[in-house]
Amino acid sequence: MTTDASAISAAAPSPNASGGPARSLRRSFRFGDAMLGLVCRGSAAIIALMLGALVLVLLTSAMPAIKQFGLGFLVSSEWRVNELERPLKDAAGQVVMEDGEIVMETIKPAFGALPVIYGTAMSSLIALAIAVPLSFGAALFLVRVAPTLRIAGPLSFLIEFLAAIPSLAYGIWGLFVLAPFLQSHVGPAIKATLENVPGLRWMFYESVTIAGTVVERPIPITGRDMLCGSLVLAIMILPIVTSVSRDVLKAVPRTQIEGTLALGATWWQSCVAMLRYGRSGLFGAVMLGLARAAGETMAITMVIGNNNQINPSPFAPAQTMASLLANEFAEASEGLHQASLLYVALVLLVMSLLFNVIARRLVVGKASPAGH
Amino acid sequence: MSIIQRAAWVSAVGVSVVVGGGASTAQASEVRLGGAGATFPAPLYTKWVSEYEKVEPGIKIDYRSIGSGGGVKAITDKTVAFGASDAPLTKKEIEAMGGEDKIVQFPAVIGGVVPAYNLPGLSQPLNFSGDVLADIFMGKISTWDDPRLQELNSGVSLPKLAITPAFRTDGSGTTHVFTSYLATQSLAFKGEIGAGKQVKWPLGQGGKGNEGVAAVIQQTAGSIGYIEQNYAVANKIAYGAVKNKAGKFIIATPETMSVAGEGAATTLKGTVLRADIWDQPGDKTYPISAFTYIIVYKDLSNLKTDAEAKALVGFLNWAISGGQKFATDMDYAPLSSGVKTAVDTALSGLSHNGKPIK
Amino acid sequence: MASARFETRRLTSDAMFGVCAACAAVIVTLLLLVSGYLVFIGAGAINLSFFTDVPTGDVAQPGGMRHAIEGTLILLALAAAIGVPLGVASGVYLSEYSHEWLFASPMRFIADVLTGVPSIVVGILGYELVVVPVSRWTSNSVSFSGYAGAAALAFIMIPIVARTTEEMLRLVPKTYREGSLALGASKAQTVLRVVLPSAFGSISTGIMLAIARVAGETAPLLFTALGSRLLTRDPSEPFPSLTLQIYTYATGPYPEQKNLAWAGILVLLAILFVVNLLIRVVASRHAATRMGKS
Repeated sequence: MTTDASAISAAAPSPNASGGPARSLRRSFRFGDAMLGLVCRGSAAIIALMLGALVLVLLTSAMPAIKQFGLGFLVSSEWRVNELERPLKDAAGQVVMEDGEIVMETIKPAFGALPVIYGTAMSSLIALAIAVPLSFGAALFLVRVAPTLRIAGPLSFLIEFLAAIPSLAYGIWGLFVLAPFLQSHVGPAIKATLENVPGLRWMFYESVTIAGTVVERPIPITGRDMLCGSLVLAIMILPIVTSVSRDVLKAVPRTQIEGTLALGATWWQSCVAMLRYGRSGLFGAVMLGLARAAGETMAITMVIGNNNQINPSPFAPAQTMASLLANEFAEASEGLHQASLLYVALVLLVMSLLFNVIARRLVVGKASPAGH
Repeated sequence: MSIIQRAAWVSAVGVSVVVGGGASTAQASEVRLGGAGATFPAPLYTKWVSEYEKVEPGIKIDYRSIGSGGGVKAITDKTVAFGASDAPLTKKEIEAMGGEDKIVQFPAVIGGVVPAYNLPGLSQPLNFSGDVLADIFMGKISTWDDPRLQELNSGVSLPKLAITPAFRTDGSGTTHVFTSYLATQSLAFKGEIGAGKQVKWPLGQGGKGNEGVAAVIQQTAGSIGYIEQNYAVANKIAYGAVKNKAGKFIIATPETMSVAGEGAATTLKGTVLRADIWDQPGDKTYPISAFTYIIVYKDLSNLKTDAEAKALVGFLNWAISGGQKFATDMDYAPLSSGVKTAVDTALSGLSHNGKPIK
Repeated sequence: MASARFETRRLTSDAMFGVCAACAAVIVTLLLLVSGYLVFIGAGAINLSFFTDVPTGDVAQPGGMRHAIEGTLILLALAAAIGVPLGVASGVYLSEYSHEWLFASPMRFIADVLTGVPSIVVGILGYELVVVPVSRWTSNSVSFSGYAGAAALAFIMIPIVARTTEEMLRLVPKTYREGSLALGASKAQTVLRVVLPSAFGSISTGIMLAIARVAGETAPLLFTALGSRLLTRDPSEPFPSLTLQIYTYATGPYPEQKNLAWAGILVLLAILFVVNLLIRVVASRHAATRMGKS
């Protein structure tokens, strides 16, 4: 292209260099083109550098923890920053005495990511289970019904605006509106209904091991728990999943719908055909929602209760990878603690990159990158 | 207008806004200092800062209550002028900062950690003891009408409500004080949870900072958390009396906390001052009292200018003298004169790039 | 038999139609409920001193958020000053140099992937890559800084701006480029004087969208800008931001500060609403003119 242009350049001088001899024109062309190429290529290279820096920095800073714990980090459930001192016990479980004094053993700090991985996975999955059916239904409505009612435009604008609301706003709403409501109304109502149903006791009671003995105690209903976290996440990913699914369904060829209708399908059957046709794109929408839920920080930190534990009950406080980082990173002064947090960050990064890559592959060109 | 011209115009405006803004602050003969750390004394430090601005209007100090762990980290990384922590520096932390002769650590004020709870309809303060608190936070005592709580509070009708412990999620001196005290009261607590700025609580709700824990208590009926007394008073959260070494139930007040600090003066030596003052003897002693510390480098080379160093030293000297009178108003206890003498000695050795500060 | 089955099918279809409509209704109500509540409470908490006063340090009379509003504007200006040129230039590369597919297509993929990096991770990167090194090199007293915060925000902006710019440039008809080249313009002239200007409206829409997106970010600033209660215009200091201040106030126990948080959320939402509305207007006008031309 460039050579073509310079070959005919003398015929139509550009306003910039009007009147100059053809040779210098060509030189300035070459210079301008080279500069543009340099700037653009350089900028694009910076994007690659950004990803490289991200991975490299996290990897090197997390290295002490990676070396110490290896992949076992991902399945270890102990996260204890302080050292413990407890009486040394022998094989028979007897306290070891020496010169009439109890011998103490020191237990080193331990770091394991299982509780936060559990918290992230569980809250994201519950959020998806709530948000995806609603989003698909709404997307069908937006594509098949709303245009005929002339409300597709305003509805789409509304949903896009809501996708732009920062997570901080959802967090504040969750903290001051949803959590107190769950605590005073929803939680007690669920407890009253289900408490005595056999097999559901785990929802309302937890077993704690205290000094070797197992004690069962009721889980206090605080409103800031896994349930609240998942609900807030669900509300937050509704707009994005809805708008991407809408774009996917819009892209289904009209002939597909008309064909099924011509064959005598009902409205719903044609919708099913549509969903089936766009299934890979819709799966991509779900993955985008998952990526967003998993990486969500501010809202979840405000409503999930921030306790590093694995408890199956929806009324138990939990912690996600992102909320752990928000809570502890600024204060982590000890080397291994900080490295372990960076290890968590690395896991979070790899996970969300994975979800995003899958999602992008499935919704190529169907979702605007800026909308995400 | 071509796109280049437009872009140039836009960025020129942007840059001039930023540069102009930067220049305007540089012109003012204002000295700015940053401090960060413990949330425990933060209400008092914030008060100190605003009072000191009245004394020295040219000095602006920004104290960030990010937790003691964060304070130690910030001063170690030299990202602040001074760090604040409720837990004295550990050996490891002192090494990380370059050794004991490079640091000045001194108590700034005495505070008390109180067991604060949310039990609607209860008028008088509840009584607690160390081992009962330990068992509550370990989950052994799980409802408010537990016989052991009832035993300490005869005549009070305690509700049959589940207890939600509220704790700190961040590295915190308040946690250090509270867990260190409980570890002296319960061997089981010492072995299971242990003492430290951040421990693994087996149950309950986490909040960030004293502010966050206070908010959790406010929002959760049946909760009990450990916060600095000032946060309980300022937010009208009920808090209980704690049984001291002499067997008396004592409510935290500036007087009962001050008593706990009296014995410490003789043990404070050198420039890295520390004394644990929980569980002290005496009839009137509040048992969960603690010094809160300020940490600076002995040579303030982490500060850019002499003016900054001078401003910092001026502020610190004012804090332990003129500033102490604000302590009682804000429910902290002022340093006794013996402790103040030790602090004065420690602060007199500060320098900037090797030069003494005048 | 057959008609009964048809009847069931029809009934199912009608029922599912209702379900879809209900889904849309639920989503809209839910989200209106959220934003409506935020606006309602925020409106009760906002007043003039919110915009004009700075924090006092007294928790009972916390002052206003002028420092945070200014801080956010400066952070955004700085982030845009870094992010927009880089983003647009890489967008131009992805679109105009797409024949260099060996380099361009991995870059496009990486840009896509980067839009999905959790913002808290970006904040940690900012801490490790800007805050810590700067404090080591300068042994400066304060290395949490507005610059670090702006860098973290720019990190989020660049891939978004790059991809939107690319898509918008791709919408510029090939004939424009061919015409320009045929008239003897160089590639640089074609790109800078023909292609970019004709996509100017839609590119600036994309830029606004990216700025709006980062305006609401909190997590990337937690460990970089850190926040400050002082009114400062020097980005080499710990820097205030509206979102950080709202977060601090909202998670604390003081009712007066919570009020400010509500008011802050309202201001943030109002800004985002206006930007989104603007984007929509610009986008639709642009689409209309383009259609009219072709």
